[in-house]
Amino acid sequence: MRAYAAFVKKEFLEMSRTYKLLIMGIIFGVLGLMNPLTAKFTPDLLAALMPAGMTIELGEPSVMNSWMQFFKNIPQMGLIVAAVLFGGILGNEISKGTLINLLTKGLSRNTVVLAKFTAWGIMWTCSYALSFIITLLYTNYYWEDSADSVLLAGAVSGVWIFGLLLIAAALLGGSLFASMYGSLLFMGGIVVIQFLLGIIPDLGRWMPTGLISNNMSLLEGNMGLAGFMRPLLTAVLLTALFLGLSCAVFRKKQL
Amino acid sequence: MDVLIEYLPVLIPLIVLEVALALTALIHVLRHPNYRFGNKVFWCIFVVIVQFIGPIVYFAAGRGEEE
Repeated sequence: MRAYAAFVKKEFLEMSRTYKLLIMGIIFGVLGLMNPLTAKFTPDLLAALMPAGMTIELGEPSVMNSWMQFFKNIPQMGLIVAAVLFGGILGNEISKGTLINLLTKGLSRNTVVLAKFTAWGIMWTCSYALSFIITLLYTNYYWEDSADSVLLAGAVSGVWIFGLLLIAAALLGGSLFASMYGSLLFMGGIVVIQFLLGIIPDLGRWMPTGLISNNMSLLEGNMGLAGFMRPLLTAVLLTALFLGLSCAVFRKKQL
Repeated sequence: MDVLIEYLPVLIPLIVLEVALALTALIHVLRHPNYRFGNKVFWCIFVVIVQFIGPIVYFAAGRGEEE
């Protein structure tokens, strides 16, 4: 347990020294600020850019527009930046050989994998929460009505679980291929396979990609919470599976 | 002008973040003259001119290893 805590601490130190903490914080902070701003600003911007005498009718921007921006920007921009940072989690340390000293001194390999998952999970949770809280505060400031809080909680937790799934995939990719690029390709492959399988409607309802693409239909009430539970369940199971597999693969890995 | 004032509460933190990020990156560029690619002048201009993306690309890809 002491080794575990120490390794989590070491991960955070590494994140701050390699500026990953800074990058995540700023990216997610900025995305949080941009969501309500873009939603509110777009009609004014279009009006200013249109030639004189030309008008287009745009509805008054609503709370939903702000959340639409949130569920568009975070999965696209945010998750891509996060995935690039997640890519190096395990692969870099294996390829540079920095783990050898610790492991020969008796640190268990499972501890390495689980502590890395914990540290990066906390980091992802905090940056995502930062983005969400900023968007929530400004949305409440600019609009009087608000979105249904139960549905919002469901939609928001979807992206969060998907992030955790990505971290577990990065760990498995890292322990399989022992390099950052292998890990990145593995994460990309996982997402692409999900999209391909998603073409089959019966399977598509279970794919974790639903957690980052159906948020708005959930929030607008077009899709029940039950429909969101299926991908959520798959994502949680896959995360556990990936973690177990990467522990198993990493134990057998020649360093 | 009214429009601008309406957006100030969200614009100010955005500008502060951008300036803080650019400054951190600029100081790092000047203090650590080893880069994976590019040179000092290139990175100085890049991190200051290209908003948000510039400093992030620098920290993620352009920053040299510390020996």
